[in-house]
Amino acid sequence: MKDENEFTGADILLKALKDQEVDTIFGYPGGAVLPIYDAIFGQNFLKHVLVRQEAGAVHAAEGYARSSGKVGVLLVTSGPGVTNVVTGLTDALMDSIPIVCISGQVPSHLIGTDAFQECDTTGITRPCTKHNYLVKDVSKLSETIHEAFKIASSGRPGPVLIDIPKDVQFAKSKYISKKDISFREHRIKAGSKNVDKNFVEELVNHIKKSEKPIFYVGGGCLNSGHQASHELIKLVNKTNIPITTTLHGLGCFPGEDKNSLGMLGMHGNYEANLAMNKCDLMINVGARFDDRVTGRLDAFSPDSVKFHIDIDQSSINKNVKVNFHTNTDITLTLKEINSFIDSNNIDFGGKDYSNWWGQINEWRKKECLHYEQGDEVIKPQHAISRLYELTKQRDTFVTTEVGQHQMWAAQYYKFSKPNRWITSGGLGTMGFGMPAAVGAQMANPDSLVIDIAGEASFLMNIQEIATAVQYKLPIKIFILNNEYMGMVRQWQELLHGSRYSESYVDALPDFKKLAESFNAVGVRAKNIAELDDTINEMISIDRPVIADIWVDKKENCFPMIPSGAAHHEMLLSKYDKENPENQEKGKVLV
Amino acid sequence: MSSTSVYPTPINAFKQSKRSVLSVIVDNEPGILARIVGLFSGRGYNIEALNVTVVDVKKNLSRITIETLGEEKVISQIIAQLEKLVPVHSATNLANLSESYEAEICLVKIEFENEEQDQKILNFADIYRSRTVQKRQNIVVYEISGTSERINKFLDDLDTIGGIKVELVRSGPIGLGI
Repeated sequence: MKDENEFTGADILLKALKDQEVDTIFGYPGGAVLPIYDAIFGQNFLKHVLVRQEAGAVHAAEGYARSSGKVGVLLVTSGPGVTNVVTGLTDALMDSIPIVCISGQVPSHLIGTDAFQECDTTGITRPCTKHNYLVKDVSKLSETIHEAFKIASSGRPGPVLIDIPKDVQFAKSKYISKKDISFREHRIKAGSKNVDKNFVEELVNHIKKSEKPIFYVGGGCLNSGHQASHELIKLVNKTNIPITTTLHGLGCFPGEDKNSLGMLGMHGNYEANLAMNKCDLMINVGARFDDRVTGRLDAFSPDSVKFHIDIDQSSINKNVKVNFHTNTDITLTLKEINSFIDSNNIDFGGKDYSNWWGQINEWRKKECLHYEQGDEVIKPQHAISRLYELTKQRDTFVTTEVGQHQMWAAQYYKFSKPNRWITSGGLGTMGFGMPAAVGAQMANPDSLVIDIAGEASFLMNIQEIATAVQYKLPIKIFILNNEYMGMVRQWQELLHGSRYSESYVDALPDFKKLAESFNAVGVRAKNIAELDDTINEMISIDRPVIADIWVDKKENCFPMIPSGAAHHEMLLSKYDKENPENQEKGKVLV
Repeated sequence: MSSTSVYPTPINAFKQSKRSVLSVIVDNEPGILARIVGLFSGRGYNIEALNVTVVDVKKNLSRITIETLGEEKVISQIIAQLEKLVPVHSATNLANLSESYEAEICLVKIEFENEEQDQKILNFADIYRSRTVQKRQNIVVYEISGTSERINKFLDDLDTIGGIKVELVRSGPIGLGI
């Protein structure tokens, strides 16, 4: 009996993806997803990007999502296919990136028998996803997929996994479209839709009273959408309040604006951390008081009244107790603050916080990001500064790996728009940047996409260069090559008596030849004289390029708040050996 | 806690740790218990007792009752984390309600050797109004319900009788806001 309204599970999946306006999927085939790959073969709305290892697929989906504001989608097979994406799912959970992972599973009747390429996918991924599903009945498949997309993108976004046994991919059922599904509200966790008027009024009153206010802005502002940035810029311009952003908040507010104090935290700017320490009013917009930001908690901004806007209830009062909070979306809340100020004609009595700015400008005079570039060896900071100067006229997307180069990128590359900066913050996943660049380039085919990398991180997912070559994605891999796991070496220098245990990366490949062997292009700068030309050459080539930039092997990343220290106990350079008593305590922390 | 212990104990760790009973309404679906238990173990919270049962077949809802230890800040964080789980409708700390009722059920099997022990057992059973489920020659099974504290006391009293063998099962506390 043939029913024309019935489709196989694989076809239902494709229909649902189309319904969700998915145009790109990153994946790798295998036995348990063959029916889905067969369905992909016979359609043309969905572009499948074949990665070289599943870890590449999940980071590419993250890069796609971060750079486009859409949900990133990936498809992997059972067993090793899905265990390879566990790191990326955790990464997306920590950094609130909306992705949907479809995984194949062994046929239902084999589940629990230790079948070939079987693993307990929902069990393994439960703590590293926002939610996950094992679909045992094909009639539930449409609804499950639509709910998965809704959950991934609502409230605080995150990764959702759908595990589909092979027999369910073959079984037939009706397709239910997105518009015909009514979501159960308690499952979506979208945050409050109503602006908390009391919060808004209290905040404006506190701004009026405050002498030393500061905005502390995180990735939540990014996830709330571009409108959140517009409202934030408006509010900062209206009030002249200084603003500092977290690693993920970079780009939510123009980095070169006079009110920007840059990034705060462990490797944040001196003026940003000092301002956080001394402020009397802190307005946290979508940040989570992460340990990399707060430093020692008992000395964190001791004298401030704290306001916190965060859609995630569990971020409120988790690490730092706040005085006022709201769980309503940032865009809605900031909009209401702006219109409250406008409609009540509040001009803050001509308040310009001149004393506060005077103090901040004193701190700025420390020039915490100063470095000495000599005539020969390239300083890594200088490499990023030049990269910024030579690319800032373009709509550039920057991804990074994890380590010193990542912090230098955050310090010296300035972002003026949201979603241009894609980095692994919470989990700190080495090997993130290159596949993320693949995803970002897929989402933004006409933009310049650069992975600022370290040679050690780059080696972790180097196979994805083949993906970039296959799909003609002209991503640029800008390696600050110091032959060390630089951040590990830095910590060993500061905390472990310069015993560089296993942090030297011996037997490195010749990155230029490596690029050529992949049919990509390799360029190299060995000294300062070659730097600008190499960067320009890299940009001008319309193919994937690996730029091997030889930098000072011993350079460390400053400023630095050592682990266990407070905001006002920063090390500004290698010559600054203040607060040595914290080092033993800090050693046990991460 | 002795301050001279070789393992220094953070002074704050036990400072305001108190017992809380959390009542959680969830969609009855596969994996929900694992999500909740995983949340507790993954974030280092304690589960002292746990009870899970379907309470509404039509709406497919279960009520999960969890007894946990922690200071107030930790309990609030647990509630916020529970409410983030997709199948969770609500999570409530019964202590935060203006009025709530709590009960636990316990089955106790006691093996005794002589008349004197039997009399003492009977006496305690009477005081605590426990119900006799089964009585054989030298074995008696009681069902006792009430607050966990009451059951603890009953068991403590039984403990004072020497030479008997006790085997028991407890449901863990369940509770309801009124």
